[in-house]
Amino acid sequence: MTRVLGWLAVLGLLAGLVAGFGLAPREVTQGNVQRIMYVHVPSVLVAYLAYTVVFVASIAYLARRVEAADRVAHASAEIGVLFNGITIATGSIWGKPTWGTWWTWDARLTSVAILFVMYLGYLLLRGMIEDRERGARYAAVLGIVAALNVPLVHFSVLWWRTLHQPPSLLKPGAPAMSSAILTPLLVNLAAYALLYAYFLAKRVRILRREEEAAA
Amino acid sequence: MPDHWGFVLSAYGLTAVALVVYWRRLVRQERELDHT
Repeated sequence: MTRVLGWLAVLGLLAGLVAGFGLAPREVTQGNVQRIMYVHVPSVLVAYLAYTVVFVASIAYLARRVEAADRVAHASAEIGVLFNGITIATGSIWGKPTWGTWWTWDARLTSVAILFVMYLGYLLLRGMIEDRERGARYAAVLGIVAALNVPLVHFSVLWWRTLHQPPSLLKPGAPAMSSAILTPLLVNLAAYALLYAYFLAKRVRILRREEEAAA
Repeated sequence: MPDHWGFVLSAYGLTAVALVVYWRRLVRQERELDHT
């Protein structure tokens, strides 16, 4: 099953590249640099998904003390940090030619950087506490608190005046873009979501085997 | 506006490197567990 997910993700990513470079038109205002959005937007949405999974799995762990839920939270946080890092890096690369700067302390950029640092802290916390049960419990609390930052990041562009543009997807009303741009974005989003599922399945299995080997 | 293909390739290249490095790390961890 994991292998199938992996191959589906690879096919999805190839389809995403074809859609992003072959089918999507050159954007009128930004030019071809807008094609970075086909990586940047799906990666942030998958990071949101990963942190939401951490939130749900952490609540499940605290409520039931099921170790499988803790493993899902741990794995999802790690993958969330990966996609969050990609979001920040690709956003910065897009920002230089578009805004004229690699970075600015605007509400969206700052809140997404805080989210990244909070989940880095989550992973550090897990590594620091030797007692497994205690580490899982503290991490679950931090995983829940940090995930509350996700809506703040997403709606920061609506709540404050920012340099960053309003959300492209996950906003009230229909997406404000042509289908020629929306379709490649959705193809890439599906591919990144499949890749997340593949990484999650693989990482959860590794964590389970590590625990079995340590027992 | 100029096309800035260098920026586009950098963004895609960096993403590809990050994803491949993470995937290889998972594969290496699995191999290590196979040998224990």
